[in-house]
Amino acid sequence: MKTLAKKDINKILSIWSQKHDVLAPTKMDNGDCIFSAFDEKTFTLDYKKPPLSPKSVFFPQSEIIFRVEKNKYNEVVAAKKALIFGLRSCDMMGIRQASSFMSRDNKDIYYQARQNAAATVVMACPKAQNETCFCTTTLSGPVAKKGFDLQLYDIGDTLLVEIGSPRGEELLTGMPLAEMEESQAKQKIDEFLQNAILTIPEVKSVIDAMNKLKDRKVAEKVWDDFGAKCITCGGCAFVCPTCTCFNVYDHQQAAGEGIRLRAWDACLYSGFTREASGHNPRASQASRLKRRHEHKLLDYNNTDIQDGLCGCVGCGRCSDYCPVHIGTLEVVKAITG
Amino acid sequence: MVGLAAMFGSGAMTNSINEFDAADLFLVTGSNTTEQHPLIGTRIINAKQRGAQLLIIDPREIPLAKFADLHLRQNIGTDVAVLNGMMNVIIEENLYDKEFVTTRTENFEQLKEVVSKYPPKAVEKISGIAAADLKKAARMYAKADKAMIAYAMGITQHTTGVDNVKSCANLAMLTGHLGRAAVGVNPLRGQNNVQGACDMGGLPNVYSAYQPVIDANVKKKFEEAWKVEGLDDKPGLTITDMMNAAQQGELKALYIMGENPLMSDPDTAHIEHALSNLDFLVVQDIFLSETAKKADVVFPAASFAEKDGTYTNTERKVQLACKAVNPPGQARPDWQIICEISKLAGYPMNYESPADVLKEINALSPSYGGITLERLSKGSGLQWPCPNVEHPGTAFLHKDKFSKGLGTFMPCEFKPPAEMPDDEYDFMLTTGRIYYQFHTGTMTRRVSILEREAPEALLEINPEDAKKLGIRNKDKVEVSSRRGSLQMKAEVTERVPPRVVFSTFHFSEACINVLTNSAFDPVAKIPEYKGCAVKVRRCA
Repeated sequence: MKTLAKKDINKILSIWSQKHDVLAPTKMDNGDCIFSAFDEKTFTLDYKKPPLSPKSVFFPQSEIIFRVEKNKYNEVVAAKKALIFGLRSCDMMGIRQASSFMSRDNKDIYYQARQNAAATVVMACPKAQNETCFCTTTLSGPVAKKGFDLQLYDIGDTLLVEIGSPRGEELLTGMPLAEMEESQAKQKIDEFLQNAILTIPEVKSVIDAMNKLKDRKVAEKVWDDFGAKCITCGGCAFVCPTCTCFNVYDHQQAAGEGIRLRAWDACLYSGFTREASGHNPRASQASRLKRRHEHKLLDYNNTDIQDGLCGCVGCGRCSDYCPVHIGTLEVVKAITG
Repeated sequence: MVGLAAMFGSGAMTNSINEFDAADLFLVTGSNTTEQHPLIGTRIINAKQRGAQLLIIDPREIPLAKFADLHLRQNIGTDVAVLNGMMNVIIEENLYDKEFVTTRTENFEQLKEVVSKYPPKAVEKISGIAAADLKKAARMYAKADKAMIAYAMGITQHTTGVDNVKSCANLAMLTGHLGRAAVGVNPLRGQNNVQGACDMGGLPNVYSAYQPVIDANVKKKFEEAWKVEGLDDKPGLTITDMMNAAQQGELKALYIMGENPLMSDPDTAHIEHALSNLDFLVVQDIFLSETAKKADVVFPAASFAEKDGTYTNTERKVQLACKAVNPPGQARPDWQIICEISKLAGYPMNYESPADVLKEINALSPSYGGITLERLSKGSGLQWPCPNVEHPGTAFLHKDKFSKGLGTFMPCEFKPPAEMPDDEYDFMLTTGRIYYQFHTGTMTRRVSILEREAPEALLEINPEDAKKLGIRNKDKVEVSSRRGSLQMKAEVTERVPPRVVFSTFHFSEACINVLTNSAFDPVAKIPEYKGCAVKVRRCA
């Protein structure tokens, strides 16, 4: 198996940066880590779960999709060659599920152009990033099964390199690679996996909650209580790796000229489901929360699930960031009592 | 602010936001907390779920009311009577904190005399709150160990705004609910830096850190620092006074920064006339607001993301804000615009950066003495008072003594709102804000998703009244006061009690301030946005 020396990683990222916009874990002044443009000075391999998944690489918070100029319109399909370095397996599963959704029925050309232009380098997850990680339950970690171009295993001074695609192979051209004997490498990977799994215990109540939802045995009170608390900020959808809903807006810029944009949307907003008549089939916050969580845990399209468990990838961000504690883990807990 | 400053010596939240997590009882009045301070509102909800008590005094059934142990819905503008009634019960039933009253306060006898005139039965007649509920509320608040009052504009925007604030403070002092962590009186400030603007002397009577302009020593200090002579030692005009002076032709020029009085001030026709009467109007803003459209000169200002500096939030915490993008076009940070104007006026202000300005703030404002750029860049902010660089900042105020020494009880008599409903204008209009729009909408109405959530002004009206007037949900109605008339859709809802209607000032198409009364509090000069008389009819 191919290996890279960890001390060379800055050099490698610099080389990749010549031909790609490289996004890599970046340490901020306040101690947080985010995916940001690679910079040798702030890059780090010692990082926790970034607050946002890298979905905005494919699906920006807002983007212009076409411009109208004097009775004609020009589609804006903008994609730069990018490389996301260091994403975790949960986020890789998020990308796989979202990409499936965005190409299943109607091909979303904006999303696909960006996705085709972006390479992914996964850092296999060595341990639970915090107490809300449950990827072992959602079958999305701690190691990615597919979808990536490269996956790296940090085993000390050495990074084992798993190649996931021809593009991954190409990324390694000219890099200072070494070789590790296959059986030794396999043993190292098994050890890595065992150690990681030990720190991310299975959350059995997720399965129980899915079963209760399936059997329609969840009391409405669960949703009513959450509905009364929810402040409708939409944050759970924005941090979620598999949420890809958007709304479309037109802005006139001058006579006969304008742009059409799309921007992230969230099913927690009343306007998301309100109809032109003013009628809203999901009129209460409780019904919107119910819909959201049923979608993730019950109704997710079978194709889009890929080889995961459901429409949730177990990253735990909604539980980390919801100011009123209505994340998937809290919902599961309320459902299973 | 004026009320708390007179009684305690400082006009700001006595506690920190974190302390909401440790309180046992919240008295929320005149604050739609979950909609206007959602992150504080969520702390109250979370506290409630761990067993804290919640007492709400508010005419409207705000979303937080679902969690309340007791919700008192007083008649608009009767807050002083309600709070006096609670104090009456607390004294009558011997529930007050005698040690605190004796050792930390003055003027108790006077308070006792005034509140003795407000027994629950009498308060019931004024406020509509059942005597039994008032007693229950008084006992709940007095008996709680860690009780916190949170209030906002529902308390202050009345002709008796200062009296309302004083009554909240009287209640807290009477029960010893002050000077400890998670115990106190907390005016929730509505904007990211309104506390900072006040702290920096954005008021007509003080320099930074509330140093009075009438104080000769203060005057000398600033004259020396700024190398000038003859700084004015008389307080200037409040915004309410300015508009009146402009209307009367006494005020000739006005320079408005980041404010949109044509929408945010009461009685729009009056403001329109006042601004038209000026010889010269300058407006500095990030967008061409309704007011900016009337200006002779408009200075485009940089937005929060386009400049460096600090903000002081509702809990007195000064936090650093860093520029993310360059300002577009000719826009510049406010401080640079002001420095340029000053230079042209013959007094060069040679600040190189916001850091230079902060150095001057440190040197001249005692409570900001230790809030330096170096310290702010290292941590997540510092809370004033923070007099020197060794000082850790202050989480809660008035620990062993009040800023002014003893806390002074300032009892107030109930006075009704300036304009009460009558036969012709038979509804009480109260105004406020909604979750999805901010103030006059200068910023939020440009955000499509917020427009989708809340695209237009609605008039909340109780089903009982709607039925009488033949109004169905979303029917167009006309609402009129003695000052003007507006059309908007009705929202038929029990959120408002009978005979009360509610709307907002977010939407220029139907800005409720066309109707509001410019009557104001005699001390703070804050207008009575929360109550005036209107009539309502269904549009044909």
